[in-house]
Amino acid sequence: MGARSGAPRGSEPASAVTAGTAPVLEVEDLRVRLRTPRGPADVVNGLSYTVGPGETVAVVGESGSGKSVSVLALLGLLPARVATVTGRAVLQGEDLLTMKPERLRQVRGPGAGMVFQDPMTSLNPVLTVGRQLVEGIRAHGDVSKEAARSRAADLLGEVGLPDPKGALDRYPHELSGGMRQRVVIAIALSNSPALLIADEATTALDVTVQAQIIDLIENLQADRGTGVIWITHDLGVVAGIADRVLVMYGGRCVEDGTVDDVLERPAHPYTRGLLGALPDLARPAVDGVVPDLATVPGTPPAPTDLPEGCVFWPRCPVRGDARCEHEQPPLVQIQGLDRHFGPSGLPHRAATWCTEPTSDTGLPASGTGSTALGGDR
Amino acid sequence: MSSDVLVSVRGLEVHFPVRGEGIRKKGAGVLRAVDGVDLDILRGETLGLVGESGCGKSTLGNAVLRLIPSTGGSVHFAGTDVTSVGGKGLRELRRRAGMVFQDPFASLDPRRTVAQTVSEPLEVHGLRSGRRERAARVGELLELVGLDPAVAGRYPHEFSGGQRQRVGIARALAGEPDFLVCDEAIASLDVSVQAQVLNLLRRLQKQLGLTLLFISHDLSAVRHISDRIAVMYLGRIVEIGPASAVGSDPQMPYTQALLSAVPLPHPALERERKRIVLRGDVPSPSAVPSGCRFRTRCPYVFEPCDDVDPALQPAGAAGQQAACHLHGVVGTPVERTPEGVTAEP
Ligand SMILES: Nc1ncnc2c1ncn2[C@@H]1O[C@H](COP(=O)(O)OP(=O)(O)OP(=O)(O)O)[C@@H](O)[C@H]1O
Ligand code: SF4
Ligand SMILES: [Mg+2]
Repeated sequence: MGARSGAPRGSEPASAVTAGTAPVLEVEDLRVRLRTPRGPADVVNGLSYTVGPGETVAVVGESGSGKSVSVLALLGLLPARVATVTGRAVLQGEDLLTMKPERLRQVRGPGAGMVFQDPMTSLNPVLTVGRQLVEGIRAHGDVSKEAARSRAADLLGEVGLPDPKGALDRYPHELSGGMRQRVVIAIALSNSPALLIADEATTALDVTVQAQIIDLIENLQADRGTGVIWITHDLGVVAGIADRVLVMYGGRCVEDGTVDDVLERPAHPYTRGLLGALPDLARPAVDGVVPDLATVPGTPPAPTDLPEGCVFWPRCPVRGDARCEHEQPPLVQIQGLDRHFGPSGLPHRAATWCTEPTSDTGLPASGTGSTALGGDR
Repeated sequence: MSSDVLVSVRGLEVHFPVRGEGIRKKGAGVLRAVDGVDLDILRGETLGLVGESGCGKSTLGNAVLRLIPSTGGSVHFAGTDVTSVGGKGLRELRRRAGMVFQDPFASLDPRRTVAQTVSEPLEVHGLRSGRRERAARVGELLELVGLDPAVAGRYPHEFSGGQRQRVGIARALAGEPDFLVCDEAIASLDVSVQAQVLNLLRRLQKQLGLTLLFISHDLSAVRHISDRIAVMYLGRIVEIGPASAVGSDPQMPYTQALLSAVPLPHPALERERKRIVLRGDVPSPSAVPSGCRFRTRCPYVFEPCDDVDPALQPAGAAGQQAACHLHGVVGTPVERTPEGVTAEP
């Protein structure tokens, strides 16, 4: 990724927010309930966040935490038969959740582009790359076929495909995984959307290719001021790309803040647990001994069977407050200590009964390196 | 062969025939999944094997365990040539060398209880005679991997991914093996569960004196669990050495690029870090470049790289080796070395 120009980074104020520019996307109290054979599942439970122009918001969490569903719901991509979506999601002034389906389809291309983990979910295997790009470009603008084709070739060049003109006539299966993902990005960007949603977009790729794709998205974002929602389970990727981070667990946001605050000064026991569980290349052996990883015991809860009280309490190593098992902690600004307001002055919030510091030392040690989370059992 | 070498691989090749594609290219018709691997795995060590998708990691692991046939070279296990043993010799190898697979969902039979799954190797190898002895052993094995022996009667779908992986490990341990190949054993698990399984493997390795070949594309996990790391590129080991040396001071340009691309969970560090972004894609293993197989993407490529295939040679720390002419153009396998190559780095 090397040079990172343009997009605001964690340690600087997220310009979109502080400079008063209108956010690209404003999500308020998003809730999604899915009908499942095992009964209703509350997959997303009250998510609120904004994405400014040129800003990258990372949504992290383990499988089943509701990350993907939360963005599919925004774009009306969940079947209405099984999904009940409530809340507000305002994209450039219009609420996506109350929009008519036709309008939503119109808005989707120029408003929001999507890149999924498997490029083949977005590509049609029997159509050439060129045809798919041209269709996307012409669906949202009055462009001649020739103009669309030359724009398609330009886009493929921009995303770094060698021989972009020739690539127009290739079929998806003739390309490598990394090349396919570049094509998907080209399609997602073909209408210069204000918002790009990347859902585990680099998870299936090798790290070297992942680095190329991240580089690409960062450069395009810097050029165009695109707001990005980056969904991933990989905290390393988050550290490299995000301005702000939202940690999801059991369909709730349990912590959010600037990337520096959340990764360097995690407040929620779950965030601390996740960071401690990560093998870390930058934290090598001490006297030749690599310490065991801290682990979070147990597994994430099923959305059909969320615990009462704090969603994390059954796995929480520091639970102890009388409220943990009965009362859901609200997502609130972490109070009391200056160092918990990031250098940016942007809020750092957590939903836990256990981190309200009484004194400077009243805080449990920061997540990295903590071994308080139990052994391998 | 030194006595502390448990698995010794020499010149191992696994070539697959391929149809069509690139008829005019040199080496057409052959996919070189494993293409001349020399590797010693020491008794009691965890050797990590990393490399990009398709570089041949799984094929190498499978060939070492004789799950697939090799087309050249040899594999010695505990001093015995097992390259083409059959019958009793192969059964003994199956008992002493096992596999933990990536997908705990796919590798367990959904219709069999945990007890049936774990005790099968006991029956196959005739390790416990009576049913009661086998049940007792199954209980021990489940405890060993951190599961409650009371779950023996349950079916795989009643378990989480991490628990299923523990069942897979218990099954692999049933024959009291010396050697386990773990092929992407944590790849489909959540981060918090990955840590549990990594810790478990480390504990078992120490407790039972196991030798592990830990195959993964996750360099951070490999660095964490391994004593030594081997890096594979297009069917060949291109660097090997102590985990600390390979992990923090790699000597082969490919390893350097690979490591620099691993994202680290430290925002400040990530902002400073320089990435070596490699050009292009990995070439197809059915069209391996001449000379150094990394030369089409290597930022340092120079004259000898086009023609001379670099052999592993000492580079960097003690015990570290890299296959790269930057460390001097020396001893490539005799039949591959063009005569009279003189090149100054
Ligand atoms: N039975 C087979 N027939 C033909 N080609 C094969 C066969 N098995 C593997 N290959 C090819 O051999 C090469 C090496 O594959 P292998 O699965 O060993 O790679 P890998 O390093 O394990 O990759 P990954 O990280 O994706 O698991 C690939 O090009 C693969 O397509
Ligand atoms: S031998 Fe040459 S091409 Fe290969 S890694 Fe070394 S410098 Fe690069
Ligand atoms: Mg593999």
